Amino acid sequence: MLIRAYRKLFLLIFILAGIFFIDGGPSYGAVSDFDHLRAESTRIKTLQADFVQKKFMKILSKPLISEGCFFYVAPDSFRWEYYKPLKSIAIAHKNKTKRYIYSRGKLVEDKMGGAQAMNIVLSEVSGWMSGRFDQNPSFRATIHKNADTRITLTPAGRSMTGMIEKIEITLSPKSETVKSIKIFEGSDNVTQINFNNVKLNTVVHPSVFQDVP
Amino acid sequence: MKKLSLFILFLFLFSCRTMPAINPPDDSTDKNLFSCPDPFLKEGYRFIHAIEYRTAGHPGNSMIGVTVADPVLRSLSCAIMTAEGMVLFEAETASDGIKISRAIPPFDSEAFAENMIDDIELIFMKPEGNLRNIGYLADGSKDCRYREENGSVTDVIENKFDGMEIKRYSSSGELKRHVLLNKTTNPYQSIELLADETFDYSLLMDLIEAQPVKKQTFKRK
Repeated sequence: MLIRAYRKLFLLIFILAGIFFIDGGPSYGAVSDFDHLRAESTRIKTLQADFVQKKFMKILSKPLISEGCFFYVAPDSFRWEYYKPLKSIAIAHKNKTKRYIYSRGKLVEDKMGGAQAMNIVLSEVSGWMSGRFDQNPSFRATIHKNADTRITLTPAGRSMTGMIEKIEITLSPKSETVKSIKIFEGSDNVTQINFNNVKLNTVVHPSVFQDVP
Repeated sequence: MKKLSLFILFLFLFSCRTMPAINPPDDSTDKNLFSCPDPFLKEGYRFIHAIEYRTAGHPGNSMIGVTVADPVLRSLSCAIMTAEGMVLFEAETASDGIKISRAIPPFDSEAFAENMIDDIELIFMKPEGNLRNIGYLADGSKDCRYREENGSVTDVIENKFDGMEIKRYSSSGELKRHVLLNKTTNPYQSIELLADETFDYSLLMDLIEAQPVKKQTFKRK
């Protein structure tokens, strides 16, 4: 059961990873926009960024702030890491996926199904990695272009029922990178992730994807 | 000799899991000066803890827990989320019981919600039951014993060296919960809860943030 929850969780993480492959650009018709994304994604070899995550909930008087970083190397190496308030690392590399959680003062491998779920999800997200945003059966994607470009992802089937209502991705019109992501888990349960220090096609040291000792 | 060792071990384990005797204060002076250990909240507070959850025979998992507790109204709200921010469980006490607003498997059973609210109440709220015994345990720890309406018993213990403890016994005298609170100025800085259930579990809670709150909620019945 927890695996099911983690599967969705990691699908979400990889959606976020896939979101980086969205690139702002000239406006096209609905079909051309996604074709444009697919074409642009081919030029991304490596990607890294820091992020600040704000969790808004009714129970919180102020948002819970989390900080972390993200690495990607084509075609399928990921690292999604939180520094605080609770350390955790998810790594996918060479068809192996692992998740580490902070326990009794150190990072230990999560044996509760998180990594297993990631393996399942990897097959689902391969489409995202090649920019096929509109071809993932789990979500419907629409693009709205005004001052900012906003992509809205809504669950297509029942797999996300009760977990995610929608995801909104706002792109910066000038820098052509993702400005923010909002994940709506419920009307008063929203996660906002702001990315900064985004580096495209710079060297990522291989140790980033190695097992955490 | 081996049999004797086993017998001593059995006695030790048995004595740890059943209600110990409380020796009343020696004289009337001591009795008058005796004050019960009271680590419980005096005003509404919001806590955010890093929680490590362990079940018997399984490795732990870490989560973030948010608790809002009002000791005056005896109201509680709580949420559990993953390190990544996904909310797995959210509930609050209401006038007609527990109102669950979100529960993702394996946190979607009624028993889980009941246990969780009861555990939080045990940690943060002063026992509602009648104070039945005060005094000292065999090791010199100060102990106040409350008997709840449902027959269960709660011991609130202060040890000079180990900090505060809360123990909840079933009506038949079996130890069901054991809470250890940090021996610092803030007892909620570090909390350990051990639960004796069909599937035993433990919670290790380390404080991330605490702030006083004033919130109108309803008392659970």
